[in-house]
Order: sequence, then structure tokens, then C-alpha cells
Amino acid sequence: MGNKSGHSRRTHTKTASRSATFDLNPGRAVAAAALGWFVPGAGHIWVGRAQKGVIFLLGLPMMFAIGLALEGRLFPFDPSQPLVLLAAFADLGNGLPYFLAHLMGLGEGRVVADSFEYGNTFTIVSGLLNMLVCLDAHDVALGRR
Amino acid sequence: MHSHLFAMMSFAGFVSLIFAVLMKDQPREQAKLGGLLFAGFLAAGLVLGWILFLFPL
Repeated sequence: MGNKSGHSRRTHTKTASRSATFDLNPGRAVAAAALGWFVPGAGHIWVGRAQKGVIFLLGLPMMFAIGLALEGRLFPFDPSQPLVLLAAFADLGNGLPYFLAHLMGLGEGRVVADSFEYGNTFTIVSGLLNMLVCLDAHDVALGRR
Repeated sequence: MHSHLFAMMSFAGFVSLIFAVLMKDQPREQAKLGGLLFAGFLAAGLVLGWILFLFPL
């Protein structure tokens, strides 16, 4: 009775911010992952891993922008073409840069361009990497890493 | 960017950077893993490229 250790468990990380203390709150972990998806790297910054967060914040949108500059295409959500649908989900993993590119009319893609496939590879892989980064932010917020 | 090699190198550089920062916490370890991944991607790309050169479409 009165033992609240199950509700207010805390852990001390052994990493960069070694003295930081985090609440093991699943809601906070989901919020970190969602924030990390919308703004690449923001989830890590929010949970106290600023160095990693800044690198993700610069690296992933830059990779996405290079993909667009290489005339890559942002794939549509077309259920009749399963591979295109998967590529669309991967593109969506970029978060805010993806929506900004759509608003600016970028990502039309030019199939005859030499760099078309390179561009697709950059945009798709940056989205997939950001999904991994989101999962890592989730684990950091839970104190697993 | 019309150089295929440069496109491949920049792709390898970005992927190596993100993986190294994701997997390791200390800057020294990140640099070591990042360098290793980058060298591996580059070597694999060049070797596979030359192997495929023997099998034209």
C-alpha cells in the first residue's frame, strides 16, 4: 500500500546526459516518436539527446532535399500498385519536409532524368531512416537506451 | 549532380552518418562506426558495380 514505485519508476541513463533522469512514461515515449516523425531529430532533442537530434535534424532533411534535387518523385498512395504504395509510405516517413515539398509542388519526378532513380532512393531511404530514428527516440524516452 | 560515383558516395555518407549516430553514443565510437560503414558501402558498391559490368543488360 502506498508504494508508488510502479507508477513513478525512474531510471538514470548512462549516456551523454548521464545525470538526466527520465520518467518511464509510455505516453511521453509515443509523443517523442510522433514529434521525431514530424520534425526529424526533434524527438531526440526533446528527450535530452541534443547532439544526436541536431545531426538528424540537419542530415535527414538534407538527404530528402538532395533526392528532390535529383528529380526524384514523391510517390502517390495508389493501392493498385503495391510497390508504389510502399514507396509512398516510405516518403511519408520524412514528416514535415514531405508536406512542405508537396505544398511547394516539388517531387513531380522526371522519369527520363539520369538521376531519377537516385533521387527516389534518397527520398525513400531518408523517410525509412527517419522511421528508425523515431523508434530510437521512443526507446530513449522509455529508458531502454 | 551527373556523377554516379558522387551520388553513390553522398548516399553512403548520409546513411553511414545516420546509422553511426543512431547506434553509438560517444563521438569517437560514432566516427569509427561511420567510417567503417562508409568504407564498406563504397567498397561493396564498387565491387558490385564491376561485377555487373560483366553482365550487361
